[in-house]
Amino acid sequence: MNIGILSKKKGKFIKEIQKCFESSGHRAKIFTLNDLIVNEMLLNKDFYILKSKNLFYLYAGYFLEANMIPVIPNTNISYVHKDRVESHFSMENLGLLCPKIFMGTLKTLKSQLTESSFPLISKHIFGSGSKGVKVYNSFQDFDTLNENYLYLENFIKGTHYLAYFIENEICICEKIPLANEHQATKLIESDKEIEKYLIKWKEKYNLLFGHLDLVRETNTNKLYVVDAGTFPEFSNWKCDTDPASKICDLIIKKYLEKRK
Amino acid sequence: MIKIGLITDSYHLEKKSIQFLKYANTKADVSIYLEEDYMIDFSNYNFDEDIFFVKAKGDLVLSLVKLIEKKTTIPVINSSRSISLAFNRFLNSIVLRKAGIQVPNFSLNPVGQSPPFNEYIIKNIIDKENYVFNPQIQKKEGYLRVVDIRAIDESSGNYPKYTHLYFQDFIKSKWEYKVYLIGEDIFYFRQLPVLINPDKMKSRIKIEKIPELTEIAYNATEALGLKLSSMDFLKSKDGKFFLTDINSSPNFNYIKNGPKIIGDYLIKQAKK
Repeated sequence: MNIGILSKKKGKFIKEIQKCFESSGHRAKIFTLNDLIVNEMLLNKDFYILKSKNLFYLYAGYFLEANMIPVIPNTNISYVHKDRVESHFSMENLGLLCPKIFMGTLKTLKSQLTESSFPLISKHIFGSGSKGVKVYNSFQDFDTLNENYLYLENFIKGTHYLAYFIENEICICEKIPLANEHQATKLIESDKEIEKYLIKWKEKYNLLFGHLDLVRETNTNKLYVVDAGTFPEFSNWKCDTDPASKICDLIIKKYLEKRK
Repeated sequence: MIKIGLITDSYHLEKKSIQFLKYANTKADVSIYLEEDYMIDFSNYNFDEDIFFVKAKGDLVLSLVKLIEKKTTIPVINSSRSISLAFNRFLNSIVLRKAGIQVPNFSLNPVGQSPPFNEYIIKNIIDKENYVFNPQIQKKEGYLRVVDIRAIDESSGNYPKYTHLYFQDFIKSKWEYKVYLIGEDIFYFRQLPVLINPDKMKSRIKIEKIPELTEIAYNATEALGLKLSSMDFLKSKDGKFFLTDINSSPNFNYIKNGPKIIGDYLIKQAKK
């Protein structure tokens, strides 16, 4: 099969995925931003893998789907998890607990938030992961900012988790607060509530794999979802299964199902 | 009295909404949600409006609209989805073509890579900011190339906003057709293309209904989910109409009694 991989980077994990496909006799081409041209030229592959959620990759995904070329994971699911407001509503709809969110210009936030709202954390409205996040403990922390407006969440104090799943396998790790996916984590035996959260999310969107970032609040023991990713790097996957080859198998299976 | 919520920003409030407000205030109770002043608290809100009218496209505005759409049954005109589709040129080209509407060929290319057509117009990726079309016309190897300077600015410099450019196949047309849609009502105008005369209003005249444009306008707005819109069309040499631009937040002051027509339409659409 001819497979296109929409990924802004040719990183280790995506290269492993490419190799897996190639070793099974498929052809797999990675499209970085330098060579991503979105027009009819893209329509010469059997299907595409949507690794990156950058705007132009989402455009490519929607373009391909409109032209009946399957995209895995589905473009709209990737979009929903890229837009933090959409992602918040989707988690809330599943009955999963999320931190309170606020949006406004700096001036408005300063005049309408109260001291009790802190600590807060700002995030890019379109994004996932820890890139660009910042914690604010008081109004004074707003003073150095240049942004026109902020997307803010209540910063939940507690134990932070990175929870992956690939098909039915789950891997839950404790992580340093606000650390990115690649930093060292500690595998934990099991957490039934986290597993329940993952399964609910996976089933709702019919996901093959993914990850949630969660925080268990120290004071209340409540579990909050603070981020979701539809195509992580699996840098901290600690189960025996090789994530790259498992993901390749699942994607091929999904494509064959779609083709039917 | 019907309660209308106007969701807007300072620019649209001051420059585009005065006449609408003047009329609407005589018929309804209008509350203003101003992007620059309103803090969205996603867990603490209370909307008692019968309808919302959105006259801006910023991230804060769209997030507020999403909150209203998800948490209430109050109608919002236009919806967040339709506004996003309208300002994402590439996305609306995909959706419109899928709906069978004739749009010029389009391509999204990394900066420096040519599209697969000889004559083109480079437009800005996201048509969201409050600035005007700033075209530069070039003739290269006998072919016409039009570049919107905004697009070039956004994709150049040390920290470019975008790595790609949106190309649209250039359609030569004697006239540009401007169609405004308010619910079921359509208003038709014709003017010289902006490239020939940048002062679009100077040559604009009201024209009779063109049935072909009526059908396209209904289909296009239905595909995107727009209830209020303006659309630009060009007519090719062989007489086909191409939809080149679609807007979710048009200036209805250009239509005779536009603010009144909008106000009456919103009141009619309000939650029963």
